[in-house]
Amino acid sequence: MRFSHLHVASGFSAHYGVNRPELLVEASKALGFDAAALTDRDGLYGAVKHMGACIKLGLSPIVGCDLPLLTDAGEPDGRIVVLAHGNDNGRGWATLCAIVSKAHKKGKHNQLGIKRSDLARLVTAGDFAACTVLIGAESDVGLAVERGDRQEAIRLLDNWLSQFAVPAALGIEVVSHLTEPGTARSSLHAKRLMQLADSKSVPCVLTNAVRYLEPDEAITADVLDAARHLEALGNFAPQPNAQAWLKPIDHMQAVALEICEDAVRAKKLMADTAALADICRLDPPTDCGWGKPKTPEKEALGIDGNPFEVLFAKAQAGIDWRYPNANTKTIATVQHRLNKELITINKLGFATYFLTVADVAQMIRDMRIRTAARGSGAGSLTNYLLGISGVDPIEHELLFERFLSTERTSLPDIDIDVESARRHDIYRAIFKRFGDKRVTLLSMQSTYRGRGAMRDAALALGLDDNQIDEIAKSMWRFSARSFRNALSVKPELAEFAEAVEQDRKMNLLVDLTERLDRIPRHISMHPCGVILGDLTLPMLTPVEPSGMGLPMSQFDKDDMDPMGLLKLDVLGVRMQSTMAYAVSEIKRVQGKEIELDEIARDDEATFELIRSTNTLGIFQIESPGQRELTGKHQPTKFNDLTIQISLFRPGPMKGNMIAPYIDARMGIAKPDYIHPDLKPILSETFGVVIFHEHVLRILHIMTGCGLAKADEMRRQLENPKSRGLIEIFFRQASAEKGYDQLTINRVWQILEGFGSFGFCKAHGAAFALPTYQSAWLKTHYPTEFLAGIMTHDPGMYPRRLLLAEARRLGVNLFGIDVNRSTNEYRVDVVDVVDSGAGSESGVSQSGEGKKVTGIRLSFVDVQGISTAETERIIAGQPYENLTDFFVRARPSRRTFERLALVGAFDDLVRATAPSATRGDIVARVKELNALKKRPELETKDSLFYNNGKDHVPAGNPEPTTSEKVAAELGLLGLDISAHVLEEFRPMLDELGVSFASELNNLRNKTNVLVAGIRVATQTPPMRSGKRVVFVSLDDGSGVSDATFFEDAQERCAHVLFNNRLLLVGGKIRRTGVRGISVMAENAWDIRELWRDWQAKQKLKAAGETGARQLELSA
Amino acid sequence: MGRIDESVAVLLDQKGSPAIFRWRNVDFQVKSKPVRWFARADWWLGERAHRGIGAGIIEVEMWRFLATAEGKVSSFELLHNTTANSWKLLRRFE
Repeated sequence: MRFSHLHVASGFSAHYGVNRPELLVEASKALGFDAAALTDRDGLYGAVKHMGACIKLGLSPIVGCDLPLLTDAGEPDGRIVVLAHGNDNGRGWATLCAIVSKAHKKGKHNQLGIKRSDLARLVTAGDFAACTVLIGAESDVGLAVERGDRQEAIRLLDNWLSQFAVPAALGIEVVSHLTEPGTARSSLHAKRLMQLADSKSVPCVLTNAVRYLEPDEAITADVLDAARHLEALGNFAPQPNAQAWLKPIDHMQAVALEICEDAVRAKKLMADTAALADICRLDPPTDCGWGKPKTPEKEALGIDGNPFEVLFAKAQAGIDWRYPNANTKTIATVQHRLNKELITINKLGFATYFLTVADVAQMIRDMRIRTAARGSGAGSLTNYLLGISGVDPIEHELLFERFLSTERTSLPDIDIDVESARRHDIYRAIFKRFGDKRVTLLSMQSTYRGRGAMRDAALALGLDDNQIDEIAKSMWRFSARSFRNALSVKPELAEFAEAVEQDRKMNLLVDLTERLDRIPRHISMHPCGVILGDLTLPMLTPVEPSGMGLPMSQFDKDDMDPMGLLKLDVLGVRMQSTMAYAVSEIKRVQGKEIELDEIARDDEATFELIRSTNTLGIFQIESPGQRELTGKHQPTKFNDLTIQISLFRPGPMKGNMIAPYIDARMGIAKPDYIHPDLKPILSETFGVVIFHEHVLRILHIMTGCGLAKADEMRRQLENPKSRGLIEIFFRQASAEKGYDQLTINRVWQILEGFGSFGFCKAHGAAFALPTYQSAWLKTHYPTEFLAGIMTHDPGMYPRRLLLAEARRLGVNLFGIDVNRSTNEYRVDVVDVVDSGAGSESGVSQSGEGKKVTGIRLSFVDVQGISTAETERIIAGQPYENLTDFFVRARPSRRTFERLALVGAFDDLVRATAPSATRGDIVARVKELNALKKRPELETKDSLFYNNGKDHVPAGNPEPTTSEKVAAELGLLGLDISAHVLEEFRPMLDELGVSFASELNNLRNKTNVLVAGIRVATQTPPMRSGKRVVFVSLDDGSGVSDATFFEDAQERCAHVLFNNRLLLVGGKIRRTGVRGISVMAENAWDIRELWRDWQAKQKLKAAGETGARQLELSA
Repeated sequence: MGRIDESVAVLLDQKGSPAIFRWRNVDFQVKSKPVRWFARADWWLGERAHRGIGAGIIEVEMWRFLATAEGKVSSFELLHNTTANSWKLLRRFE
């Protein structure tokens, strides 16, 4: 007896299927099936993973899609399954891709699905069908049978037969989930549908419409159904039972018997199913282009002749460009290295790949958009000469072999960073350049994780959002899969753990959250991936529209290599936008042209700034941990930045590489190079093995194995199984080269321990470039740089902290002004007439008519302002007066008042009424807002216009600074006038709280209190596996970093994760020249302390009066 | 038709179908080919639903057949909880 499941949904059927395709294939193998099908709903999202698993386990893959059918008018008309035929040189696969892509091209009803006429056209184009359409229980025919309307069912089936009149185009699918006889999915219905098929001589197959591997997982499917319906369980019709599992063949045979009630017919049902499965067995290499690299054709690249010769010529030309004044020796080194790289590239046949990437890089530069390479691609001289990367691999000792070698055949990854704000422009340009037959965007599947899983589990149980908001917020750094375990060990969950014990629903919530973990949730556009192929691309991957409208493949990044598809990562990096913006502002305001990529990389002032640890806003080194490391490390040259960026990574941190390096660098410990041969390799890191490149060089020098082989061995070192073989080779080869046993033992110990801990130096060097460039801009053009940061928001800190940084650097901040602000943070130059009360802060005191440069705040921070409003305001600038603004900019009443409250009209009104207070202006705005009808522009009603002057009432007070700050924080989320903490200053002073800027003067282990507004919380991975929480607090003088170890977390977990304004008590911990942090012992909520303190003050005041009264009466 | 909802003891035949059941101390002989199906249960009204708890909380096995005792034939519906292996007489159709 043969049988194959032909209708199986994996977790890639969003909110429907439960398991990973790989798991389903493994189970199929274990159950003894020799083929496995995947027919996910609405797409082929899991198809590549499915095929990969089948190839690995020796099963024949079968792929199809469960799709909604539409009438030709575009109305929903049930669902069908389309199965691709195999071993037909890709005809079935290409047709399936076309059908799925077509189903996602939504028509005027915006309904996902395929029209019957389109389906017929695609399936029947030929003498033999390219795919088989299965008409099952959810089809129009199946639904008519379920209603008991046999006449209608016959009519509908005839309709199908007339449109699909080629062999193998149609099949009837019967399913019995052993439900109550006469209800949906019952054996009785299956039998009636089979009899209908028999009467029309349509082949009939049996499936189990599988949704999960095991019956137990039907519970998970229930929860997914709730998420799909957006309804709590109990509020919609659930699945009838738990029978939709991947049943073994004997169970399926029993189902066939129950349906047919006739052994002969049941046998035929099973055999017909196996026969259809045979037609659908795919041969991935010939059907799907499996494993065959595909790059754009020569025509697409605009070249004729041999691509390798073109690449050779381009790279040669690059030598003159990159090394204009080099001496003969350098040129010889370059030439030698280039030849070596080109030989490898030619051997692998990747010339068109490099030409394609170079072409894209050139196109981006031609668009005047900043770019930088990232990743191991920076190790290639070819990439440097072609302008793909900007770091010289020879100068920085980066290795090509880490990037590409003949030992590996997978397509290399070249990643290009570009300005985030221009990323979509680049995508469109790539589509235009290569045509949408050769290009598609990459997709990604987001999966259920902690909070998302909990929210949908809560939805299924009918729990309120606000019932779980608090708990969801406390889900930090543990996987939802181990939620129940976390309850007993995470202090911040203690409260919830108690609720779980008392509340049945909370208990269930934990179970369901664990069940949802890691199940795919929805597809979205990958943040940076573009697939570049040849004209066969549409026949290899189904596409659907992305959020930005361009087509997007249903495959994700892991599917690229198996499918032989070339992926180019064009990653939008906000820092690149920030720097481009700063450079353009420098040009606009100062008229200076700056070529950031050309600046010298040894500017002392820049390193001075970095060493001060005021690195906020600087690429890669602004996080609390990096700031602390900067303080200890004290970088003096570009390579130091490469090292530092590489050190602060999970690998080197877990591998304990930081401390030995810093100690040796500071001269506390003597560098240990183990053997004189290794000194040239390790001198940059004082004997500590940090980089993959180090390992490659050590292996090569001690065994003579060559760098390409060395990289293969490095990869195998990560795998404990293959490590033994490497050890044998290493010991033998290095002994043969004359190394002594002691050296061999010590080096092997290091290599063995290195495992997966190291970091690729090319990555670090590629990152170090924007790090240096942003530090240079911050050093020399702080105003323009901070304006860029505020506009493009690249970092990890809130904008209000950037204001504090601006104040600290003496950069002027100008408040929002309806005539000068825009939707960006522009550098503004204002004439200062007097330094009296105004909206500007930080303006220097001296003289009249002085020009002052600063950052003009933007409308984007005004709470509730719409893009349309902002655009109207900017289009109407300048305004003559308040009424003019009111009439022409047409702000909403709320926005109008908010603008007044934050002082956006102060300068406008005071131009004609110098004595008006902000209170007066707000009063006038309220008057205007109260008008029933907004005056028309044409009327120029004298009552409003008053000869161009505003009727501003007088006598309202100017708000105090703290009132201004409150308004600013409330309406902008920014404190322009003063720091938010100032409100609590009397209490903080009384408590003896230290300023962040003073901590550097304190001795190690001094008891200290610091306060501030939380600007960052991090829980980085730790070597010990224990959780450490870093909290950074800004108090206006700077940022202090507090470290909470587990015992401290237990004392204050609730405050730690849930409050913004914190007071932290602990001990000073000095970790280097300028490395300083607070080892926290406890934390408190400042607002709560403030309430207590104020109450105490009142009591004290009352007590004093009371005492005086007593004295008087005595 | 009456809803009964009482525990019963069941004897199975070789195929695993009910052959005799005892209700209120009376033995009923199954007289027709039993019909079996699977119905569902509202597990979310319970306490736990963790991974691996088993389909017993979501699904129950149902049986319907004609049975006779003391010369009288009626139709019965039995519920079988496969996890607990417990049987209940749900309904009797006169």
